[in-house]
Amino acid sequence: MNLPQILYLACGLFCIGLYGALTRRNVIGLLLGVEIMSNAVNVLLLGFSRFTGQVAAQAFAVFVMALTVAEVVVGLALVILLYRTLRHTDVDEANHLRS
Amino acid sequence: MHNLAIQHLVGVAVFAPLATALFLALAVPLRRHGWAAAYVSVASVLVVLAASVTALIQGWGAPPVEFGVTWLKLSGVPVASLGLRVDGLALTMLGVVGLVATCVQVFSLGYMSGEPRPALGRYFTYHSLFVFSMNLLVVAPNLLQFFMGWELVGLTSYLLIGFYYQKPSAAYAAVKAFWMTKLADMGFLVGLLGLYLSTGSFAFNAQQTGLVATATTLALFVAVMGKSAQFPLHVWLPNAMEGPTPVSALLHAATMVAAGVYLLVRAAPLFVNAPTTLHIMLWVGVVTALFASFVALVQTDLKRVLAYSTCAQLGYMVAAAGAGASSAAYFHLVTHAFFKALLFLAAGSVIHAVHSNDMRKMGGLVRVMPLTTAAFGVGTLALMGFPGTAGFFSKDQVLEVILEHAGWAPAGLLLVGVGLTSLYMTRAFLLTFFGAQRCGAHAHPHESPTSMLAPLVLLMGGALATGWFGSSLAAATGHHYHFHFSVVGGAATLVSFAGLGLGLLFYGKAGLAGDERVVLRSLATFVNRALVDRAYAWTFSVVALGIARSCAWFDRYIIDGAMNYTGYVSLLAGRRLQRFQTGNVIDYVAAVVVGTLMLLTWGLFQ
Repeated sequence: MNLPQILYLACGLFCIGLYGALTRRNVIGLLLGVEIMSNAVNVLLLGFSRFTGQVAAQAFAVFVMALTVAEVVVGLALVILLYRTLRHTDVDEANHLRS
Repeated sequence: MHNLAIQHLVGVAVFAPLATALFLALAVPLRRHGWAAAYVSVASVLVVLAASVTALIQGWGAPPVEFGVTWLKLSGVPVASLGLRVDGLALTMLGVVGLVATCVQVFSLGYMSGEPRPALGRYFTYHSLFVFSMNLLVVAPNLLQFFMGWELVGLTSYLLIGFYYQKPSAAYAAVKAFWMTKLADMGFLVGLLGLYLSTGSFAFNAQQTGLVATATTLALFVAVMGKSAQFPLHVWLPNAMEGPTPVSALLHAATMVAAGVYLLVRAAPLFVNAPTTLHIMLWVGVVTALFASFVALVQTDLKRVLAYSTCAQLGYMVAAAGAGASSAAYFHLVTHAFFKALLFLAAGSVIHAVHSNDMRKMGGLVRVMPLTTAAFGVGTLALMGFPGTAGFFSKDQVLEVILEHAGWAPAGLLLVGVGLTSLYMTRAFLLTFFGAQRCGAHAHPHESPTSMLAPLVLLMGGALATGWFGSSLAAATGHHYHFHFSVVGGAATLVSFAGLGLGLLFYGKAGLAGDERVVLRSLATFVNRALVDRAYAWTFSVVALGIARSCAWFDRYIIDGAMNYTGYVSLLAGRRLQRFQTGNVIDYVAAVVVGTLMLLTWGLFQ
C-alpha cells in the first residue's frame, strides 16, 4: 500500500465514524462511531510511521489506544447511568442539559 | 516665631469651630442634651473671638503672609493650595465674624431657650459649622478654597433657614434660598473655570484682559448677586427670614450675605481689569438699593423690613465696589455687620417678647423694653447715617467715591435711597416701640434676659464706634482714607434728616394709620402684587418648566429609549441564540464538526 491509499482509508474510516456518531440515536452506536474515528487517527499515525520511518508515531498510536480504552470505560459507565435513570439509551430524548 | 504664633492663632480661629461641629455631630448624647452642646459651642466661639482679636492685634500692620499646603498639582505644577492667607483684610473680617458670631450665639442662649433640647443641640452644631465655613472663606488664599467656604456657608444657611423644618413655609424658604444661591453659584464655577483656563491659576490677582476678563468677572458677579441678594436674585432673602432671628442676624445680615461683597473686595484686582463688569455692578447695586428701600417701606413684618434693608445696604456696597472703590465697600460691610446684627438681635428680643413678627401687633414696647428700644434706636440711627454713628462714616465714603468715579446719576439715586432708609427705619421704630400697645390682652411683653441684652450692649458699642476706625480699616486693606466733610456727605445727612422728619410726620401721631396715606397705599398695592415674584413664577413656569419638559422628553425617549432598545435587542438575540442550545449531544457534535471544518477551510485559504 502506498501513502495516498492509506490516507483514503483513514479518511473513509473517519467519515464513517463521524456519520455514525452524528446519526445514531443509540448512545452505544454513538460511542462506536467515536471509536471508529479514533481508529482512523491510529491508521494515519501508523501509515505515516511506516513511510517516514519514525517510531515515535507508533508509540503515539499505543497512547491513543490507551486513551480510547479509558474513554470507553468512562463512556460506558455514563451509558449505564443514563440507562438506569431513563430506562433507555436514546440520545435524542436525553436532552436534559437544556434546562 | 512671630509668624508661627499668628499662624496658630488664625488656624485656631478657623478649625476650632470645625472641631466643635464634628464633636457635636458625633457626640449624640451631648447634642441631644441641648444645653451642653450650646455651652460647648459658645465656649468654642469665645475661643475663636479671642484668637481672632489676638491675631488682629499681633498682625496689625504686618505684611501679608500665606501658610498652607499644596493641594492640587497638575503635571508637577502646583495649581491650588489650601491654607491661610493672613493679611489686614482677613484679620479684620475674622474679628468681625468672631465678634458678631459670639454675640449671636450668646443671644441664642436666651432666645432659643424655649426650644426642645435636641433641636437646641442641632442649632448650635449648625452654628459652629457656619463659623468654620465663614472663616475658611475669609482666610482663603485662592478662589478655589474661597469657593469651598462659599458653598459651605450656603449649606449652613440652608440648614438654619430650614431649622423649623416642620413648618412648611420654613422648609419652602430653605429650599428656595438653596436653589437661588446654587443657581447663582453656577456662575462662580464658570468663573473659576474661565480663570483657570485663561491664566492657569486660581489666584485673586490673576491678570486677565479684554473679553475674557469681562466674561470671567461677570460669571463671578452672578454668584455675588445670588449670595449678596442683589436684584433680581434677591428674592430668597426675605423668605430666609423664616429662620430663627439670631440666624437672620448672623447669616442673613452681618456675615454670610456679605461674603459676596467680601469676594468683590478680595478679588478686586480681577475686577479692575473688567470695566464693563464694574459698570454693571454699579448699576445692579444702585437698582437694588433703590428697589429694596421702596419695598421695605411697606412691609408689615419687622424682620422683612430689615431683610429688604439688608438687600439695599448690600446694594450700596456692590455699587461702591462697582465704582472701583472696594475699600469703601469693605468699610460699609464692617459697619453694616455691626448695626444690622444689632437691629436684628433687637428685633429678636422684641419677637421673643411678643411672639410675633408683625409690627401691627407690636407698638408701645418702649415702656416695657427700654434697653431693647435703645438698642434698636441706636441701630436705626447708625443705619440712617446719623452723624457720629458707624453708618454715617461708611455711607458718606460710599457716596463720595461713587460720585467721584461714576458721577451724579448713581450718587443721586443712592441719595434718594438714603432718604427712604431713614423713612422706613423711622416707621419701623415708631410702629414697634411707640404708640398704643397692640399685642393683645393676654400677652405680657417683658424685657429680655441678660444673655440677650449683653450682646445688644456690645453691638451698640460696635454700631456707634466702628465708624471712627475707618482710616485704620482702610490702612489694613492697603488703602488710604480720612474722614472729611464733602458735599455729597452733607447732602446725605440732610436727606437722611428729611426722611426722619417725614417718618415722624407720617407715623409720629398717626401710628399705624400712617400706612393709609395714598402714596404708601399705592406703593403697598404695587409691592404686594409681588411683581418680581410673579415675574419669577412666569419665568419658571414658561422657561424652566419648558426646559424641564424637553429634558424629560429627551430622557424618556432618547436616553431611556436607547437603553430599552439595547435591552430589547439583547433579549431578542438571546432568544435566537437559545435555539442552538438544544441539549442534544449529537447537535453539539455536529456543531463541533462544522466549526472544525470552517476553521480548516479558513486555514487552507489564508
